[in-house]
Amino acid sequence: MSQLKSNKKLKWALDFNQKNKQLSTELPSPPGYSQSSNANYAESSKDSDSNLLLIKKLWDVALGPLKQVPMNLFIMYMAGNSISIFPIMMVGMLIVRPVKALFATQSTFKMVEGTQAIGQKIVYCIGNIVNILLALYKCQSMGLLPTHSSDWLAFEEPQTRLEHIGGGLSLI
Amino acid sequence: MGNLSINLKPNFMGLLKCLNSINWFIVFFSLINLSMCIYEDQIGKFDWRQSYVGRIKFAQFDTVSTARKIIVATEENVLAALNLKTGQVVWRHVFESTSSGNIQLLHLSDQIITVTGSNPYLVRGWDLSTGVLIWEWGLTLQKNEHTDFSEWWVQNGLLVHMVPKFGSHIEVSVYNVATGHNRGATSKLPAVWINEGCVLSPPYYTCISGSPGNQLLLSMDVTSDAVQIISKPLAEYTTARNANLNPFDTNTVIPGFLLNEKIILIRGNKFEAINIAVSEPSASVALVDSASGPLVLQTWNDEAKGFTLTAHNLVSGQRVNEIGWSDRSLSIPEPELSAVICTKTAREQHVCRILVTAADDASHLIQQEGRVLWTREEALANVVAVEFVDLPVSDLDAAIESEFDQKEAAKMHSSVLAAFTRRLQSQFQQLQGAVRTLLAGDAAAADEPPPLVRDYFNLHKIMVLLTDAGKIFGMDNLSGEILWKLYEPNLNTEAAVMFTRRSARHPPHDAYLTIVGKHEETGNGLIVSLNPIRGTPVGEQTLHLDVQILQCAVLYKADAQKLHALILLDKDENVQILPESSAPLVENMYMHVADRSSAVVRGYALRHDGERVSAKNIWSVDLSGGGSQRVVWSVSKPAAERIHSAGRVLPDRSVLYKHLNPNLVLLLTEGPDPVHKDVVVATCVDGVSGGVLSAHVHRRARRPALPLHSEHFLAYLYYNDKQRRHEIATLELYEGPERWVPAGAAFSSLRGARAPHVQRHAYIVPAAPAAAALSATERSLTDKHVLLALSTGAIVELPWALLEPRRALSPAGEAREEGLVPYAPELPLPAEAVVNYNATLLRLTRIHTAPSGLESTSLVLATGLDLFYTRIAPSKTFDLLKDDFDYYLISVVLAALVLATYSTKYFAARKMLKMAWK
Repeated sequence: MSQLKSNKKLKWALDFNQKNKQLSTELPSPPGYSQSSNANYAESSKDSDSNLLLIKKLWDVALGPLKQVPMNLFIMYMAGNSISIFPIMMVGMLIVRPVKALFATQSTFKMVEGTQAIGQKIVYCIGNIVNILLALYKCQSMGLLPTHSSDWLAFEEPQTRLEHIGGGLSLI
Repeated sequence: MGNLSINLKPNFMGLLKCLNSINWFIVFFSLINLSMCIYEDQIGKFDWRQSYVGRIKFAQFDTVSTARKIIVATEENVLAALNLKTGQVVWRHVFESTSSGNIQLLHLSDQIITVTGSNPYLVRGWDLSTGVLIWEWGLTLQKNEHTDFSEWWVQNGLLVHMVPKFGSHIEVSVYNVATGHNRGATSKLPAVWINEGCVLSPPYYTCISGSPGNQLLLSMDVTSDAVQIISKPLAEYTTARNANLNPFDTNTVIPGFLLNEKIILIRGNKFEAINIAVSEPSASVALVDSASGPLVLQTWNDEAKGFTLTAHNLVSGQRVNEIGWSDRSLSIPEPELSAVICTKTAREQHVCRILVTAADDASHLIQQEGRVLWTREEALANVVAVEFVDLPVSDLDAAIESEFDQKEAAKMHSSVLAAFTRRLQSQFQQLQGAVRTLLAGDAAAADEPPPLVRDYFNLHKIMVLLTDAGKIFGMDNLSGEILWKLYEPNLNTEAAVMFTRRSARHPPHDAYLTIVGKHEETGNGLIVSLNPIRGTPVGEQTLHLDVQILQCAVLYKADAQKLHALILLDKDENVQILPESSAPLVENMYMHVADRSSAVVRGYALRHDGERVSAKNIWSVDLSGGGSQRVVWSVSKPAAERIHSAGRVLPDRSVLYKHLNPNLVLLLTEGPDPVHKDVVVATCVDGVSGGVLSAHVHRRARRPALPLHSEHFLAYLYYNDKQRRHEIATLELYEGPERWVPAGAAFSSLRGARAPHVQRHAYIVPAAPAAAALSATERSLTDKHVLLALSTGAIVELPWALLEPRRALSPAGEAREEGLVPYAPELPLPAEAVVNYNATLLRLTRIHTAPSGLESTSLVLATGLDLFYTRIAPSKTFDLLKDDFDYYLISVVLAALVLATYSTKYFAARKMLKMAWK
């Protein structure tokens, strides 16, 4: 008890002259260690902190696609509007990634059940949709979307005719 | 793919194009032949050329030089040497096709002497063996009249020119052959007794003169110094009412002539009737020298015995048996002895070689016993019309096709079992066929001609050629071999047209081809129907109509026998349908007829009123422009044309829709003009409604020619009189950015008239074009190229992009992005665009194109004095492996890869096993 007392008194004093009188099984706590405070802290964070962290992490995931938007914009700007192999690959990635992510939404948010799960999912989807729209805009500006009648010209039915003619110069 | 450098405006099609071009680059290094022209080792692989000289007019055997030849001069103004053994052309000179190139005389001594032209004349000497021109001199007569009947011959090394002036005198001039030095100027021999019926048998000029019943046979040696007339009453030789004088077809011995069917010689200034009867009035008689004295040869086409030839000894009148024969198998209509040479063998036998020219322009070299050494089908030098006909599928393919034919299947195999046995049967047949070809090997395949069945790509076809002489040929397009020939003596092919009325695609029925021409004498319609595969008459066979045909057409609808009916509009505007059973099918059919001289175009609507079809004149357009213009050409679109694309994509990704009026007719007229000298007018008329869609006038221009018409574009050539050059005018018709009728809807000319937007340009052609054609492919996916035959003997292939009227002078942004070439007035005719490489084609008149089963490939036949066949690939051979594709290498590589795969698999398995044991 005195030990505890002195310890309490001299919290920051270290007694190097202590003899090995009492080789007690109970080792003294390391300096600066307070059992009570520690326990208290652990007690309180176990419930709220881990939840918060997860939510934070999930928000990170959910906001990920939206955070990519500036990067994508930059990539799009750098890729230019000419049609060559690298811009095409980039545009392909821009489209494929969010679409894949959208399909994988369920597995991404599998472990979460919480109050904010629906919101996160919605944000995640919105982010991906924004990315897809961006990619589509890129395709549009590159002219890759078949939006004009000229793009469907080759698939048109050939013209038929009602009247038929014959003749030419007089054979006489 | 040269336009990769041109910045493509990005769009969806652009992406496809880009992917395509990447593809192209891969392909470029591996498989596909991208070059426009052919490689040297490809010469003759896809093309062939046949050289002709035309109907033989004069022929002589070359007995002087060591290489035996026949020297011929022809109606086509060609001087040529033919190899005696093979009949091949050794050398050939083609003179002008006009009267200035007309060959008047062919004489052989140690060199060839020819007289060509008709005042001025050109006398030339040619080397016998090489055909090189040695000397030449010209002659112009002061007086131009009466020269039509002038005669030339060579006598004792002197050239004699005789001009008869009927009822008055004969003018005779004698020249030194080589120099043209006039020996004794011109002498006038008084002869009031000469007339058109006179014949020359050098040096005698013989006539029948006098009042009927009191006629005299008069003859005179025109070269002798003293005028000496031989005169005998005609009654001494013939009692016939109308006596005719005829010269011998070949005479190398004694002056003489034929009086009706009697041979009369002039010997010692006396007529001498020979006791050898001419067997047939139409027989061709020749007098030739042989080792046993002069011979009289006669040849005619006997009704019973066929081609017959007889020979008599002139002196004894005895028949020479070893020369005479007759042959039923030879079909030589109206034979004419062009040249005969007779020698004697060591066994005292006559050996004659006889060159016979027939009415069908064919020349045959016949040896003893009627053995034909060679035959030259000279009718092919004058091809009038060409039709490419598909071959039928092989029996095996037909069986398989019929198996899958729904109707047939429903009829024949109602049960599953029957269908199954049938399947097995055809499988077995296929197997049999495969085994047979394997067993037969290459040796048998080389000997036998390839069977007349369609090949996989439908590249093998039959070309039916209609010639001016009335002879019809069926020719294999791959080899140029004549498969069948048919001579129609009464057929006048002047304005003849040819239609394929049924293709060979409908197995139980034969292919059916019809030629509509005129009767030689009456001018009435003559219709020849035949099976183009075998050349046998079918259906209507040869039909003589008793009325002149104004126009004809083929009905677009086929009847139950898959036969397209022939519609004939006769002079009295009556309509005849062949076969008549098809009359109810006539509906929505219109015809137009352009009269050449009056320049009036009339349109007729054909109606079936339950019984018969009648034509009603519904419109007429007068293009005479005040009476001076006349129609030269009328051209509508090819009947079976497919159009792939309905519009053009502009750089801003909008569409410029083409005006694809299938009833459009281009009419070219020309005529004098008081202000502009000559005027050429091109008018686009709708063939149904008669509406004029556009008209273009070219002032100071002449000779509009060679119109091309396809899809939405038109082109025609004319001669610019002001600049003295040939120009090609091109037109394109567009509807604009909005289409008039929705996609896939039927086009009707009667549905409201809106004028299309016409774009046009003219380009200078730095050559004289002789013929033009557009490439044709099965689905019109490939680019259109224009084939221009030039008078230099080359056929140049030009992309339509170069002739496009949308080429701007200085293309601004948009046009540049579209890939339009900036306008340059002169068309480039690069040497590498010449389809016929260095094979010069003389006097080309027409080019015919036909699609093949391969979309990339178009078949081309150029006709003229030469025939030239080739195939072109306007957008390169994108659907075909390169000609020298290394099958061996690729199979070795494949085999090696498979081997490597399996061996590594084995080794990998072994290694895994070893690792597991560790």
